[in-house]
Amino acid sequence: MAQIFKKSANLWPLYAVIAVTLLGIGVVGFFWYFGSPQYLDVGYRPQQPVDYSHKLHAGDLGIDCRYCHTTVEVSAKANVPPTETCMNCHTLIGTDRPTLELVRESWATGNSIEWVRIHDLPDYSFFNHSAHITAGIGCESCHGNVAAMVKVEQKEPLSMGWCLTCHRAPEQFIRRRDQITTMNWTPPADQAEFAKKVIIEKNINPPTDCSGCHR
Amino acid sequence: MKEMQKNNGKEYWRSLDQIADTPEFRSFLEREFPENASEMTNPVTRRNFLGLMGASIAFAGLVSCRKPVQKIVPYVKAPEDMIPGIPKYYASTATLGSHAYGVLVESHGGRPTKIEGNEKHPSSLGKTNAFLQAEVLNVYDPDRAKSVSNEGTDAQWSDFVAFWKEKHSQFTESRGEGLAVISGEFSSPTLHRLYETFKSVFPKASWVIDEPVSYKNVYQGLETATGKRVRAKHHFDKAKVVLSIDNDFLGLEQESITGNKGFAKGRKVETEKDEMNRLYIVESSFSVTGSMSDHRKRLSQNQIERFVRQIASALGVLTNASENVVDPAWVNALVKDLKKNPGKSIVVAGHRQTAATHSIVFAINESLSNNGNTVTYHSDPYLVHDGDSIADVIKNASKLDTVIVLGSNPVYNSTAGQNFGEAYKKIKNRITLSLYKDETAALSTWHIHQAHFLESWGDAVAVDGTISTIQPLIQPLYNGKTNTEVLNLITSAEDKDCHDILNETWQDILKTKTLAKNWRRILHDGVHAENKSLITVKADGQAINNLVKSSDISATSLSKDNLEIVFYPSAKTYDGRYVNNGWLQEAPDPVTKISWDNAALISPKTAEELGVKTRDLVFINVGGKELEIVAHVLPGQADYVISLEVGMGRKDYGRIADGAGFNVNTLKPSDSFSVTGARITPTGRTYVLANTQDHSSMENRPLIREATLEEYKKDPEFAPNMVKHPPLKSLWEEYPYTEGYQWGMAIDLNTCSGCNACVIACQSENNVPIVGKEQVEKGREMHWMRMDRYFSGDLDNPEMVYQPVACQHCENAPCEQVCPVQATLHDKEGLNVMTYNRCVGTRYCSNNCPYKVRRFNFFNYTKDYPETIKMVQNPDVTVRFRGVMEKCTYCTQRIQAAKIGAKNEGRTLVDGEVVTACQQACPADAIVFGNINDPESKVTKVKQQNRNYAMLGELNVKPRTTYLAKLRNPNPEIVKQTETVS
Repeated sequence: MAQIFKKSANLWPLYAVIAVTLLGIGVVGFFWYFGSPQYLDVGYRPQQPVDYSHKLHAGDLGIDCRYCHTTVEVSAKANVPPTETCMNCHTLIGTDRPTLELVRESWATGNSIEWVRIHDLPDYSFFNHSAHITAGIGCESCHGNVAAMVKVEQKEPLSMGWCLTCHRAPEQFIRRRDQITTMNWTPPADQAEFAKKVIIEKNINPPTDCSGCHR
Repeated sequence: MKEMQKNNGKEYWRSLDQIADTPEFRSFLEREFPENASEMTNPVTRRNFLGLMGASIAFAGLVSCRKPVQKIVPYVKAPEDMIPGIPKYYASTATLGSHAYGVLVESHGGRPTKIEGNEKHPSSLGKTNAFLQAEVLNVYDPDRAKSVSNEGTDAQWSDFVAFWKEKHSQFTESRGEGLAVISGEFSSPTLHRLYETFKSVFPKASWVIDEPVSYKNVYQGLETATGKRVRAKHHFDKAKVVLSIDNDFLGLEQESITGNKGFAKGRKVETEKDEMNRLYIVESSFSVTGSMSDHRKRLSQNQIERFVRQIASALGVLTNASENVVDPAWVNALVKDLKKNPGKSIVVAGHRQTAATHSIVFAINESLSNNGNTVTYHSDPYLVHDGDSIADVIKNASKLDTVIVLGSNPVYNSTAGQNFGEAYKKIKNRITLSLYKDETAALSTWHIHQAHFLESWGDAVAVDGTISTIQPLIQPLYNGKTNTEVLNLITSAEDKDCHDILNETWQDILKTKTLAKNWRRILHDGVHAENKSLITVKADGQAINNLVKSSDISATSLSKDNLEIVFYPSAKTYDGRYVNNGWLQEAPDPVTKISWDNAALISPKTAEELGVKTRDLVFINVGGKELEIVAHVLPGQADYVISLEVGMGRKDYGRIADGAGFNVNTLKPSDSFSVTGARITPTGRTYVLANTQDHSSMENRPLIREATLEEYKKDPEFAPNMVKHPPLKSLWEEYPYTEGYQWGMAIDLNTCSGCNACVIACQSENNVPIVGKEQVEKGREMHWMRMDRYFSGDLDNPEMVYQPVACQHCENAPCEQVCPVQATLHDKEGLNVMTYNRCVGTRYCSNNCPYKVRRFNFFNYTKDYPETIKMVQNPDVTVRFRGVMEKCTYCTQRIQAAKIGAKNEGRTLVDGEVVTACQQACPADAIVFGNINDPESKVTKVKQQNRNYAMLGELNVKPRTTYLAKLRNPNPEIVKQTETVS
């Protein structure tokens, strides 16, 4: 009787081991890349109920971020403005613009506009806006150049590893107080010196311990 | 008998099982996690579970990888001063019967999440007790009544208003004939105003006071003694000698917060040169106050009354000397001690005692010059504690047309022989206002759902006459009505808002002109500071003598066939009002450590005579009534006295209350808190009690360190020196922890009374779930802070000590060394932190923890929370999932919030800025927390005291929490007596 297995069959286990290893690497690699916040979250740009353009308001018109996001300097949360803030201007400007219909409706009925959250940290992370503003971190560092976005999207992965790049070496990111809302910021020539001075002055020591962000 | 925890010649034990060292107890201890703790239990079998898991994995693959879309819903018009992420605080007032406690309520985005004491209020002084801490859960209780109902079907408030308008004209005509109101005791300007109006509009109507834990005797005794309607405020801080006559002023009496605070002041010993107060107590069953006592006598209620007369005779207050209930030598030593401290001693009697006893106690305090010094008296024109008799309502039930129950629960409270429920059903119109669809509501024709005090406007009066305001934190969740709204409707047939009703009262109090000016300040502070009502009163000797003569106290000799039953308020439900509160139900009783139940407490000697063991179901027969209840043998209980905790044993009340414990009201006499002539017969069956006293046992090590004041003076370093060990060296290279903030805690065992306030405060602050009786019985309770209780000394009359234990934040933490995934590790400030998201649930850390303070989420306890319960969660703390370990974090969220706040202001933290939840609640200020790296901080100073010791410090784990050893201050004369006897 002829042999059932040819001699080359001796190599099958080897092939199997290689295939399984490759598959394993492939699966891990797949999730590593496709499951990462970098892949999943960066570029997230949902349709908002109102076509609000940050480019127009913050960019072209030059309205300060804090005109709307008023609590960013004092609270953990940077608030999304109430309809009232929109209506401060829009009772006079664009009063019949169809894109503002929802805003007017909200103002008239008292029902809130339901915005879609873009920058969403996991519930076990407790980010504090005011602490970062105090330290001199610009809005742009986490949110990107919002003033250039017609429709806001997530620019950074907001993963723990990404947070830690700054928490471990804040000196590249610390800005002068008046530069915090500046977009397209480039570190000035004296950044290293300035950062060194401020870090001592303000006692900036960003936590790298778990308790810094997780409670 | 196995060797118990020995130190300083004392042996400590946690339970009688431990003394007996039964094989069951051994095996319970030796299993790291109690039996079946890791196996799947009902109702989901393991196979079922795997099936479900398979399905959910399959579904998981189908859904998108993106996180679910979250909406941001901003205000349309933002309220002024509302900053998202920053909580706001409002002053309000919680009431318990006639007592008021000022509170400060934390509100996150418009929902109350935490209650603290109001520093400006004389009855809370910034502190709380367990009940106040738990009140916030009651607001969100999904079992609350949610609408008005008429004859069992849902109705509208307007229907009731229409109904009452008709009735109102009928009753105005008849001047209240056939109308009765049943309410609890109260002291409130607004309620009192409406009460007066009611009396004038309906002079023929009756008003009945139904308060199960009544202070009627206290007020009546004082009224007889002084001839005036007064309330007594006790200043324990000024007292050097305290004699408590069955008064649990550190636990369940209404003055417990100020009691703890004041008493602790007299017990704060910084060096061996300091003085310390002395507490004598006579009581029937162990109370937390008993645990703090230096001398304790176990007496039956009958003996206590006679003991008061013995003391009074010895002091020369009463001339008709009665027989000696207690050894005269002991009494003489006590009397000498009292006389030595005129104006600096205090004698208090509990609410269970008769009016006669209270009037004698007043006279005793007068003879000791305590009145005006350690006890002050205050007039309270707004107090209503007595009314028409409920017996008359029962007798004339069929003649009554309408009865209105205001927040009380007379059907459940109905005592032996009364059977109020049957009589109640005979009344034509039965109207009830209550938070829950309780026993009375079930029998009512109209039920109005009540608003919680955090949803109401109102006012209340403290013992010293200070008026405080009740202001709402939230709109009534179910549009409930307050008692002022209902009472106003009843008297005037006008449907008014409680704010307007309150306003009317305050226009009188403040006079209209100054109202606008002062009202906002009063609301902000929570108290009307100008209102003081201190008065000087004198004893009316004749009246006291008459009352004493008229109250009969013939001695009964108790035996196993003639037992005395004592009814005491529950640490879980008070009088039954908190019965559906999961936090309180699950918190182990301070004394018995029973969770989710009440039991008949029996002394070891009596139990042996009766052949009853703990967990035996027994029948108690008294006065022709029978009650089946589980027995619990409690050392320190007076012989032949059975103590029964009121407020439990409900049916169709709520998902927490139902099935927990036994209803003991069926045995309770209507005019007294004790009854004799009871018999006990075992049923032969047993009952499962979830008792935490053996959980997390710590194996005979000197955990509690205790000495008498005299021993301490001789050897001030006794506590740290109690354990001898070789020089400690670590296997690891130790982290220095010398920079920045280094957090540490010190707990003074000498002032901790074991009142459980910290346990509930921690639960409220840190979103600690409740797990249910079955799980507690398996040792899976989740409390981050547990209150260990130990007995020592004589088996029948032991001493009791408490030790609050939470994570000790060891610098060389054993848990960290065994975690395979680095889910628990140290931060630079010395916190042992727990990263929930990394935890894979091996539970190695808990195995290796010498203090047994880690808690594991065996199930996803928080998953099925009703929507409203989610609202009580602290948004600053992660809600944990199944399969992760958790434990005390030193309130890291509060540390971070304070640090960020300080940094935003460009400064460093000042001492006392970070306050942990347990520390904030502790009425005795036993817990101190702060930066141990700051030589000037309070915690550093406290840790430098010579009583400071680290529990299990010999393991070189370097705990950040240390304890100050307990001291007792026995009277040397009595010590000598006992020595000569033995």
